Order: sequence, then structure tokens, then C-alpha cells
Amino acid sequence: MSLRTSISPPSVAAPPIQDAPSRHHMWQRISPYIYIGPAVVYLIIFMIIPVVQGIQLSFTKTPLVRPDGGTGVGLDNYSRLLSSPQFYNSLGATILYTAATVIFAVAIGAGSALLLNQAFKGRTIVRAVITLPWAVPTVATALIFSWIFNRSDGVLNEVVGVLGVGQQGWLVEPKFGMAAVVLTSVWKVMPLVMLVVLASLQSIPSELYEATRMDGAGALETFKAVTWPHIAPTVRVVTLLMTIWSIRRFEIIYLLTGGGPVDTTNTLVVNVYRQAFSNQELGRAAAIGALGLVLSLLVTVVYFMMERRNAAKEA
Amino acid sequence: MAKLSLRNISKRFGDTQVIHDFSAEVDHGEFLVLLGASGSGKSTLLRIIAGLTDPSAGDIIFDNLRVNRQSPRERDIAFVFQSYALYPHLTVRENIAFPLALDRFKGWHHIPGISAVARRVFGSSKEIAKQVASVSSMLGLDEYAHRKPGGLSGGQRQRVALARALIRDPSMFLLDEPLSNLDAKLRAELRGEIVRLHRLTGKTFVYVTHDQVEAMTMATQIVVLHNGVVQQHATPQEIYARPANTYVARFIGSPPMNLMTSAVDDGQPALGGLRLPAPAGIRLRTGTVTLGLRPEHLTVSADVGGPGLAGTVRRIEDLGADTLIGVQPDPASGLKMWELNQDDLLWIRQTGQTRLMAGDPCTVTPEARMASYFDGDTGLNLAPAETSAALLPG
Repeated sequence: MSLRTSISPPSVAAPPIQDAPSRHHMWQRISPYIYIGPAVVYLIIFMIIPVVQGIQLSFTKTPLVRPDGGTGVGLDNYSRLLSSPQFYNSLGATILYTAATVIFAVAIGAGSALLLNQAFKGRTIVRAVITLPWAVPTVATALIFSWIFNRSDGVLNEVVGVLGVGQQGWLVEPKFGMAAVVLTSVWKVMPLVMLVVLASLQSIPSELYEATRMDGAGALETFKAVTWPHIAPTVRVVTLLMTIWSIRRFEIIYLLTGGGPVDTTNTLVVNVYRQAFSNQELGRAAAIGALGLVLSLLVTVVYFMMERRNAAKEA
Repeated sequence: MAKLSLRNISKRFGDTQVIHDFSAEVDHGEFLVLLGASGSGKSTLLRIIAGLTDPSAGDIIFDNLRVNRQSPRERDIAFVFQSYALYPHLTVRENIAFPLALDRFKGWHHIPGISAVARRVFGSSKEIAKQVASVSSMLGLDEYAHRKPGGLSGGQRQRVALARALIRDPSMFLLDEPLSNLDAKLRAELRGEIVRLHRLTGKTFVYVTHDQVEAMTMATQIVVLHNGVVQQHATPQEIYARPANTYVARFIGSPPMNLMTSAVDDGQPALGGLRLPAPAGIRLRTGTVTLGLRPEHLTVSADVGGPGLAGTVRRIEDLGADTLIGVQPDPASGLKMWELNQDDLLWIRQTGQTRLMAGDPCTVTPEARMASYFDGDTGLNLAPAETSAALLPG
């Protein structure tokens, strides 16, 4: 029996090597398109076409009663928007609302996640209770808070009454309107931040905390060396999501204040609705929507640029 | 500097007791290995020494001070984790410098803005830089100084963890299965490295492992633990030569000691039909005893009918330098092997290669004076201990 392997080339010319027929190979080439196909169709029908139509609409003057009977007006809608103080007021309200909601929701959500990550008795129940607002339907949330904020018999006025402050019109006075809307929104969305950050906290290996104990690090050093670097990417993503969702939030604002008092909560999305269905100007509403889309895209682009810079720093 | 005494340590988690009344004295500069299978309580014991876990009862004493109440940091010890536990967002250099920089950080340094300046000042401090450089070059980490742990191999990561332990110049090093996540070649390499560090620092090392090779090659003392109970505390040589009981006999050695039941008549044990001379220093009572023979204390030959134990070769494992031969004793010989023995075979280690093949009849002869004898009921070694009594307190 010989185990020797031939190293020298065979003297007879070997037949050319061909690929063996393979169904597997065919399937591997085709299957990705089959898998992503439904998603692509969905995106085209429900995202791409509506966005394109919306942008088309923004170049027309279209009355609500005849959505397909618009007349082209070119950039007229945009130029009128960009020269109207009401639009800038709306833009300002959007930015103020978004910034306040995101800052408070992320700070309170991440903070309560850190607290709830500690071991204490009844932790599961507290977590469940804190998560509850997220499960409440938005319309119900808005109704509940409109009762809380009610001028004549709302709970909030009862409470501040005890403190010796007179009755306030939380939803009708310009100085309180935005605060009331932000408070309601934070109450509603904060639990999501908490849940996501909590999940991220729980994936930190316990050895890292033990290592900091061996090194004698205090709570603050441990947070800076272990906890924060670990949850920072999650916090960034959740901040991005919160920002985009806040820019386009409608129900809570519209149901509580309808954009008032005196347009202080008239964010871009509420403005779109009012232009389309109160002023019956579909074209102008579409133009506001298009500019809102630009704002959202801007946020996303900035986020991804930051992420890329972070990734470059990591490597 | 630090003599470690553990007195009557017990630990229970709920209803399960993981450590039963553990006591040991470890002199300064010793390399103590806690050896045991998983679930033996060895890691828990190490964490109790470190202060990461509190014992349910018992005292941990460094020199003459009871440290039970001290935090891990106050105990001035370093801990090396199996999973390395490096700070993933810090560079190798920053990881190593972390404990030193931490010592200098004061409360107000954490104020945002100031903290960045403070970190930079400490990070570039000449003293710290010098220490980091010397420790990194000692462990061959110079070229990785600016990489993050994510970009290192397992062996390099464990070196960084060792460097982080080393830079603190602690009075004691605790290592929890530091080599378990590495491949065989790296393990051998780092074994040598750790022994070198032990010699270099002269500090006490307590090392937890389930790997008997690590225990035998590195330790100056081994504690064999089983289900939270100490089986034997002795030098590696004694543990190998005179295992305290059948558990240790089976746990140490690869393949482990062959154990079989032996009938004793007039002080002379029997190996199957073969009569062995009465062992020196042990009086065997008439009845049965457990006889233990290491694979290297048996020889096998192809000449059938010679003096010895007749059998059939069943398995040949050629390891290159050695060959392991598994022999099935003749049923007629009446030899009763312990059921624990691998494949119910008598294992023999022979230097070099063998001409025997599976199925061949053969004769096995023991080196009778190397045999160990254990009590048939308690499993305790019947030979008197030489040094282990001195190591065990009380």
C-alpha cells in the first residue's frame, strides 16, 4: 500500500475543470431577491410613491375639495412659506418641542433605568408600573392629561391650589401651553427610553464591575469607566429615534392644544394638518411637510456623521 | 509580606453549601493552586479572599489582621479574571494605567471639563508612564499600547489583564482560571509567563484552575477541592506520589491511577491471581483493600504465560513520545477493576512505541513497591502522610 502523493504534473493533459451543476448555487443567487422583494414592494407603495406625490403636490395650488384638480404654481408655496413669520414660528415651536421632549425623556428614562438596574425589593413591580404609560393609547393619554390640566376642576390646579397658587389655565395660557404638551409627551415616551437603556445595562458583564471594585473605583469612576461607555451607543440611537418621533408627533399636541394657545404649540406637523384641513390648502400643507422631511433628514445625517466619527475613534 | 490564613470558611447560597469549613495557611511567596472540578467551590473561595463575596462564616486573615470587613481595594490584592474584564473603550495603555490614575483622582476631579484635564495630566505623568512602560515591556505589550482590547487576541488580552494586576504592586495576586479561554499552545506559553512573574515579584499567588497540568507545573502547594470539601493540601509531588484518597488519585494524572479491588491475605495484597509482596510501612488487614497503580508503574509484554497478570490488549493510543495501552484483564484472573476506570481497562504508559496491536494477548507486571493502598470503605490512603500534616493546621 503506498501513501505517497504525486507531486510531479501528470504526463497526460488533464481535462479542463468545469463547475459541477448545482441547484444550491442557483438558489443562493436568486433567494436574496425573493426575500427582500415584499419589503421593497411595500416601501414603494407606502413610502416612495406617497413622498413623491406629496412633493409634486407642494408645487401646486390644490383645494381640499378637489385633491386632483390642482394647478401648478411652481415654487410659489415655498417662497410664500419662507417669507411668512407664521412658518418660522412653527419651525421654532417644533425645535423647542423636540429639544425639550428629547432632553427630558432621555435624561429621565436613562436615569430611571440606572436606578431600576439596582437590586431592590419589588423591582419587577416598579419596572412594570413605570412601563405602563407607554402601553396607554395616545388618545387616552391626551384625554387624561387634558382633564389633569383642566382649568376649573383639573387635578393639577387642586395640587397647586394647596401650595397657595391660584387656578391656572395650563392649556390656554401661552406661557404654559408648550410646557404642558412637553410634560405629557415625556410621560408617554420616557418608558421606552428606560426599557432600551435597561436592556443595554443588563448586558454589561459583571466581571467589569468586579474589576473596578478590585481597582478601588467609586460609583462615579465606575460609571465613567464601565457603565457609560457601554450604554452610550444605545443612548445615542434612542436619542435619534426620540428626535425623529418628536419632530413628527401629532396626536398629543393636537388633542391637547390644537396648536394653540396663540400658536405656541403649532409645530410643523400640526401646521400641516391645519393648512390642509382648516385652510383647505393641500399644496401649502405639502410644502410644509416637505420642509419637515428635510429637517428629519438633517437630524439623521448629523447622527450618522457622529456615529462614523465615533466608529473611527474606536478603531 | 502577606501570610494568608483562612480559618473555618463556610459559604452557602440559599440552601446549598458550596464551601464546608475550609482552613488553610499560605506563607508569603507561595504559589497556591486551588484545584477542583466545576462546582467544587474553588472560584467562590478565591472571590471570598478577594472580598468580592462575603463568607457565611469564618475568618480571612492577612498576616495578623482580619480583613473580612475590608473592601477589595483595601485588601491590597489584584485579581485576574477568566474573561479578562478589560475596559473595552480604553486603550491597552489606559487599561494598565487605570488603577494608578484612579489612586490620584479626587472627588472634585470629576467635575466635567476638569476631569478631561485631570485625566490628561495623570495619563502623561512621568511616573505613571514609566511604570506602564516597564510593565508592558515585561509582558511584551509595547507595540499594542494604543490598541483597544477588541483588537487583541485572547492571549494578548490576558497579558494586559496581568499587566493591570502587576502595576498595582499588590501584596497578593489572585487568578481565577486565567488561561481557560486560551488555546493549548498559548496556555503553555502563559503558564511559563505567570511562573516567571511569581518568581520576579516574590508575592503570594492564589490560582484557581480545573486543569491538573496547570496545578502540577505552577504550584508550590495544591489544594484539591471536591464539593466544597478539601481533599488534600500538599505539594504537587506529594499529591501525585501519595494521593490522600481515591478522589485525588483519580483526579490527578492522565490517564489517572488504575484502581482495583484487592483481596488481602496475611498482609499480602493480590492483583487478580498475582500475589504482591507486603507493602513497606503499611500493615494491611486481612480482607479487601483498594489498590492503586499509576499507568507508568505497569509494564506490558507480549510473552504469554510469563509471571504476571494475563490479559488482552484492547486499545493503543500512540502519543508520540509515549504510548498508552489499555488492557482487559483475563476474566479468569478474578481482577475487579473500579468501574471508574476508562473503558474498564487497565491503562499502562510505556515510553516510545509498542509492537502490540489490539486483540493481542499479553502479560502485565506491576512495580509493586509503587502501589498505593486505600481503605475499601473510606477511600483514604493507608500510607502515613509525610508532609501534609505540617501544611494543614489543626
